[in-house]
Amino acid sequence: MRSEMIVSSSLGRSTPWNGLRALGAVIRREWTIFLRYPSWIVSLFVWPIIFPMGYILTARALSGVDGSGLAQFQATTGLTEYVGYLAVGTMIWMWQNMVLWNVGYALRNEQLRGTLESNWLSPTWRFAYLLGSSVPQLVSMLTMLFISGLEYALIFGVHFSGSLGLVLLVILASIPAVYGLGFAFASVVITAKESNAFVFLVRGIVMLFCGITYPLAILPEWMQAVSKWLPQTYIIHAMRSAALSTEGFGGIAHDLELILLFGAFWLAAGFALFNRMERRARQTGAIGQY
Amino acid sequence: MSDLAIEAHQLVKKFPARTSAGGDKKAEGESAPAKRRGFWPFGKKEPKIMFTAVNGVDLEIHRGEIFGLLGPNGAGKSTTIRMLCTLLEPTSGTARVNGFDVVKQANEVRRNLGTLLAGERSIYWKLSGRENLEYFAALYHIPPAVAKKRINELIERMEIKDRAGELVEKYSTGMRQRIAIAKALLARPPILLLDEPTLGLDPQAARRLRELIAELKQEGHTILLTTHYMEEADLLSDRIGIIDQGKVIALDSSENLKQRIGQKEVIRLELTGWHDDLADKLKNITGIEALTAHQQGEADLWEVNMQSQNSRSALPRIVEHISGNGTRLVNLNIVKPSLEDVFIHLTGKALRD
Repeated sequence: MRSEMIVSSSLGRSTPWNGLRALGAVIRREWTIFLRYPSWIVSLFVWPIIFPMGYILTARALSGVDGSGLAQFQATTGLTEYVGYLAVGTMIWMWQNMVLWNVGYALRNEQLRGTLESNWLSPTWRFAYLLGSSVPQLVSMLTMLFISGLEYALIFGVHFSGSLGLVLLVILASIPAVYGLGFAFASVVITAKESNAFVFLVRGIVMLFCGITYPLAILPEWMQAVSKWLPQTYIIHAMRSAALSTEGFGGIAHDLELILLFGAFWLAAGFALFNRMERRARQTGAIGQY
Repeated sequence: MSDLAIEAHQLVKKFPARTSAGGDKKAEGESAPAKRRGFWPFGKKEPKIMFTAVNGVDLEIHRGEIFGLLGPNGAGKSTTIRMLCTLLEPTSGTARVNGFDVVKQANEVRRNLGTLLAGERSIYWKLSGRENLEYFAALYHIPPAVAKKRINELIERMEIKDRAGELVEKYSTGMRQRIAIAKALLARPPILLLDEPTLGLDPQAARRLRELIAELKQEGHTILLTTHYMEEADLLSDRIGIIDQGKVIALDSSENLKQRIGQKEVIRLELTGWHDDLADKLKNITGIEALTAHQQGEADLWEVNMQSQNSRSALPRIVEHISGNGTRLVNLNIVKPSLEDVFIHLTGKALRD
């Protein structure tokens, strides 16, 4: 027998403010879960030292213990601070790498846990899940970049002769390009299901073509041509200039323009791919498939 | 306001069928527009084989009723539900939830639906029960003051007050399921969609959940319930739809469905040493219909159900056939048809097959 009493509407109210609160809730959720896995200590404090160590020791061996081989390096790069040079390159590589793993796999991990569907069933704007997952990642990465800088200065004796303001400006300008690529990646991963090979490919390309440990001048011409189409090339160059040289804003202005252009492209591409994935998932049922 | 909470008309969902490496088709279906093989754009086009998961489902669920949707795995039950809750877009046909179109007004549909899909996996195990509810309250755009009151109310109701601050990973399956249900109830939605709500629960937790579902109906919620458990559907549902091979093959109250079998009785045997030859022999006995057999647990104990217009005349032949050849009769009953027997009568197979 049917009930006499009928519930006719829900308690939810769609307003822009409630939409923002939902985005805030995604950020808070992601941050809370992040802190509950103690491995974040490793990624923030240990990894930034371990990763560039191999390159630094190799460079020390090649330059000679007394640094007599550094003249050639200085002639090519205009810098004497080769540890700082390697540290900045590897820091940017780590940033992009972690964005690919964390932001790129944010939705996929939800899918594997089984929570993606329950998020998708709410009336919240779906891009908010990806955007919200990226914010704690960005905060932890900025913290890592700051800690890395401190560690390089204190442990390796790197002298950052540039400007902290310009470093922050480069980081800020790089966010759209680095995270736009992450958004695009997240959308591909959710339909492709398994994309470790793509992460390895993309980070391998960045490692080879963007000069994380060597100047681009030593690459063959065709590789230099490819590197011009990768935003990480300009991010690394601008960051080295901002952190290690005294050229000032003039030294990074051109790089910033290109970084912002790439950022606009990758953000638009990430958003478009997300919408396409979302539409396709409704047609194929991909959201609920593990 | 229409009297219908959910209505679906000629709902169809087709998926591209998966084919094995050798090209053997795992699912039969009709062709869709041709698609070229791989990345090479000039190769010969292959017709895409489509698998029809839902094939013209019509449903009308009234406000304030519990509607049970029954069907074996792969019958189209989950696909139908996923279309109703906007996770899937229908290939054709229309559906409305609380008056809103599932394709054109998907967000309104989501606002009016509380869903329990994937049970305990639908919540975050690294958050506490309360944190989960606070998170989902924000996603459902419930104003903070209202959300706070509602969360406290649900925590009390689900009897998890003492442990609401603990991480979900420390909860039992039953407690996790209660949090998942509280999540579905957060926005006090007019319509609840509960997919296998008692799956994996111990008998006591399942009974408590069935009581809760009955209470929710009394409070004015419309409930669409899917379950494998016939007794559960029988107990809770005002009307039942039986879905098989993508079609609703029967839709009525439980009593009316049982009357469809008419005067038939069900002969229920429990025996050991079951073999396929015996099934053939029993099926050939005059007056025996719809035989199903399934193993009881891991031991060699089988339950065999047969429908018959006249069990008294069939019994001597049955006993004769099962004597010998290593088969041993453990128990024999003649019972009135249950919903499961209706299902067997309509589909020729047991729900658990």
